[in-house]
Amino acid sequence: MLGSHIDEVVQAGTGKRISMSVTSEPESEEVDSEATPEPSAPDERLTYRGVFQRLFIRPEIGALIGAGAIWAFFWAVTLNFGNAGGILPVFAVASTLGIMAVAVSVLMIGGEFDLSSGAATGAFGIVTILLVKDIGELGGAGLSLWVAIPLSLVVALSVGWINGTVVERTGLPSFIVTLATFFVLRGFKLGFSKLAIDNITVGTIDEAEGRGYEFWQKIFASTWVRNDHSWESRDAVYTILVLGGIALVVAAVYELAFARREKMNLAGLPVLMAGLALVVGGILYMHNSDGVSANTVAGIIIGAGIIVAAFGLAWWRYQPQAPGSFAFSPLVLTRTLIGVGLVAVATVLAVVVDMESQRSVLDLAGPFTWPVVVLAGALGVYALPRMGSLAAVFRPALGNLTALFSSDSVLLRYGSAFVGAAALAYGFMFMATEQGLRAIVFAVAAVVGLMVLATAIYQARSAKGARLLVQTVTAAAVVALAFFIRWQSTSVKFRSELFSVLLVVGVLLFTWGLVSAFFAQRRFADRRSDRLGSLLAVVGIVAAIAGLAVKLLFTTEAELAANIPRAQFRVEFLWFIIFTAAITFMLEKTRFGSWVYAVGGNKQAARQVGVPAARTKTQLFMIVSAAAWLVGLLLAFRLNTLQSGTGNGLEFEYIIAAVVGGTLLTGGYGSAFGASIGALIMAMSVQGIPAARWNSDWRFAFLGAILLTAVIANNYIRTKAEALR
Amino acid sequence: MTALIELQDIAKYYGNIVALEGVTTEVRAGEVTCVLGDNGAGKSTFIKILAGVHQHDAGTMKIEGEEARFDSPREALNRGIAAVYQDLAMVPLMSVWRNFFLGAEPMKGVWPFRWIDTARAKRIAKEEMARMGIDIRDTEQPVGTLSGGERQSVAIARAVYFGAKVLILDEPTSALGVKQSGVVLKYILAARDQGLGVIFITHNPHHAYPVGDRFMILNRGKSMGNFPKEEISRDELVRMMAGGAELDQLTHELESGGARSD
Repeated sequence: MLGSHIDEVVQAGTGKRISMSVTSEPESEEVDSEATPEPSAPDERLTYRGVFQRLFIRPEIGALIGAGAIWAFFWAVTLNFGNAGGILPVFAVASTLGIMAVAVSVLMIGGEFDLSSGAATGAFGIVTILLVKDIGELGGAGLSLWVAIPLSLVVALSVGWINGTVVERTGLPSFIVTLATFFVLRGFKLGFSKLAIDNITVGTIDEAEGRGYEFWQKIFASTWVRNDHSWESRDAVYTILVLGGIALVVAAVYELAFARREKMNLAGLPVLMAGLALVVGGILYMHNSDGVSANTVAGIIIGAGIIVAAFGLAWWRYQPQAPGSFAFSPLVLTRTLIGVGLVAVATVLAVVVDMESQRSVLDLAGPFTWPVVVLAGALGVYALPRMGSLAAVFRPALGNLTALFSSDSVLLRYGSAFVGAAALAYGFMFMATEQGLRAIVFAVAAVVGLMVLATAIYQARSAKGARLLVQTVTAAAVVALAFFIRWQSTSVKFRSELFSVLLVVGVLLFTWGLVSAFFAQRRFADRRSDRLGSLLAVVGIVAAIAGLAVKLLFTTEAELAANIPRAQFRVEFLWFIIFTAAITFMLEKTRFGSWVYAVGGNKQAARQVGVPAARTKTQLFMIVSAAAWLVGLLLAFRLNTLQSGTGNGLEFEYIIAAVVGGTLLTGGYGSAFGASIGALIMAMSVQGIPAARWNSDWRFAFLGAILLTAVIANNYIRTKAEALR
Repeated sequence: MTALIELQDIAKYYGNIVALEGVTTEVRAGEVTCVLGDNGAGKSTFIKILAGVHQHDAGTMKIEGEEARFDSPREALNRGIAAVYQDLAMVPLMSVWRNFFLGAEPMKGVWPFRWIDTARAKRIAKEEMARMGIDIRDTEQPVGTLSGGERQSVAIARAVYFGAKVLILDEPTSALGVKQSGVVLKYILAARDQGLGVIFITHNPHHAYPVGDRFMILNRGKSMGNFPKEEISRDELVRMMAGGAELDQLTHELESGGARSD
């Protein structure tokens, strides 16, 4: 029965030679694809992926968003996270952690772990120090650094080679093999240190003075003291680079999102110019005058200029379309109302609650605190594994409250989760003052409100008019929040920095809504637009980063007069950037990189098509040990001496950073750039917790929470991304 | 014209177990040779000998008229024999074009600054797939998001592009639905029309009969015969495959069993 069924299908193209229907003429299509846009009759299956959709399928997007959120969080709750004195130490911590995290992430993409990577950093530093130490009773080999550095690299590469070879030859999990290496290295470090000088520190690297120390010290441990470099036009350069960068990125987004006109409409060009002139004029006016009223006038001019310029740009280059209906779907309407309501509630609450109060919300010594915390934990343990996905938690909670009570099991699940969450909140509140709680409630309600509005915009995307209206409302909410925060806040950074950022965001939101209501979105791939758009985006991002770097590296006389704290930039961060860039290039663009993904994703398949799997994996272990060698040298030159315990136990932090950056624990997926962002996130937490004056003993709990959140978020985003493809 | 592969009385023993004995068949350019057999009939051993994973213990294997013996899969590949295994062929998380060129990526630049010519790789992958009649939406798509049939087709197109003269397909249709199977069978014919010799291994005579030019039936490690299409009908094929008399017996048992439960 089944057989004959299959038969019929097969019969359709059977018997004699069937001629294959080749769907398109490949040669002709490809040869002149430079001159003409992609085929005009597109495949009906190919829906064009928008700019943001394409961004979201990158593995590191979760880490980037997380880094932004954590930075914003610490910027808000600490005094100095927004300035050079707060950020440069984060870079210093991130550098050594990041170099290792990048290397470890590549190894993890290749499907292996290296638990010896932490201990190895200290070990190779110690090897170098022992090699250059003076010959004497407690001495070393007395070599020149010119010999010792390559020699220790050879030692490092051999350790990596041994790790890789043992893993490949024995077929044992790398977890076990490198755990053994970890203990061996740890023993060697302690043993040699004690043997050499009967101490857990091994002596100093500056004993190599006159034997290459001066040169290598510059390479591995130069510092740039910010306070020694003042530059009067710094702020002008900074402003031009950052604003120019943002403008280019906006232009790039437009280019990628909207459909080009057949022929440019030159009428738009003067409008664009007029808008830009307004912006520049506004900035100059602000620069050359003092006083709040002048600032407000300048702000209005700049905002108007941005709107006019964006509209001019669109008018010049993109296809117009008739604005659509204003018909609201009930869903859009409810969400808009809920979002606006939440923002309103946030502001009202913030006004009502007394901001001067330092009173604790709940008493620490209250008799119920600890039992409630324990209960929360128990319920959490019960409920968490039963909740399925995040979506399953929020959908019934937001959509249909009655579903919670419709069946016993659901009630039990979500009920216990809810009670657990409430109890946890209660447990945490004993730490909060009334003022702190006010800030948290305000921030959470405002952010959730804006997020609900964002979903409303997304829901209204097909009805252009409705979308414009919702987007205008959202922009208005953002601007209103900006003014509210400026009015209520006592802190300068909230009154000036956050205020300006929110204003810019509000204006950009409004112009985006306006332009997308009147101009046609792209629906097909267009190589010219893609090329121009990505070029603009890259130049814009580089310009903005260069602007920030200028601000971080230089100071002004005015700042020096105000006695800003000393901050310095270490060359280690440069090493970090170079290493990350090199490894990213290797992963994405070279044959070896392709093989790394292949051996991690499906080793058998890779081997079958001729990828040398064993060699690739061994080389990965050698990359990790080479990175450990680099970090060992950086540490040795920074600290001058190393203890035998240096680096022990850090291997898990590298793995956490890699996972936070979107690398899959099972191999075959991830990015080196993501791992470097993961390292930044961890460094920000390590530096931010004491800066926020919390008890830094708790930082590991914080790291654990970040790890779990990151994995859940990455997993969620990846599933969504797969669905988008 | 000499056959691409000629096998004469090939045998393989694992210790005292006879895995394969007395197998004789040939593969010609532009023809599909079907190897049929039930589970445990020795199909896997047969492929592994051809693909260089195992070596035969007796008999002769001639590649384009010359006697040969492969020590590794690489060697078989170099002689133009490519095996496409059902689920081991692809890296699911990697994009189509990366899978297509895996192990032989086109490079550009001057040593030591050499990198993958991404644009060319994507273009060729798309073209080659189109030549097989497969219109892939986006070569950046991870292979894991393709359907089973499409995955097989990427593997087939890859083997064809890299100059395979003989394509060995191991059960390409067994995990697929009805429609998907039909699609894969079309790709088999497309490969044949490009002048390849195809060895199609399957346990489904209904898939084999429409596309095959020559049939070899394996049963318990022994060849039950090697027939050109003209000499065998579909029903005979089905009967031989299932062991003839055994099937009759089984049919009888099942029918009487079904009657009893009524």
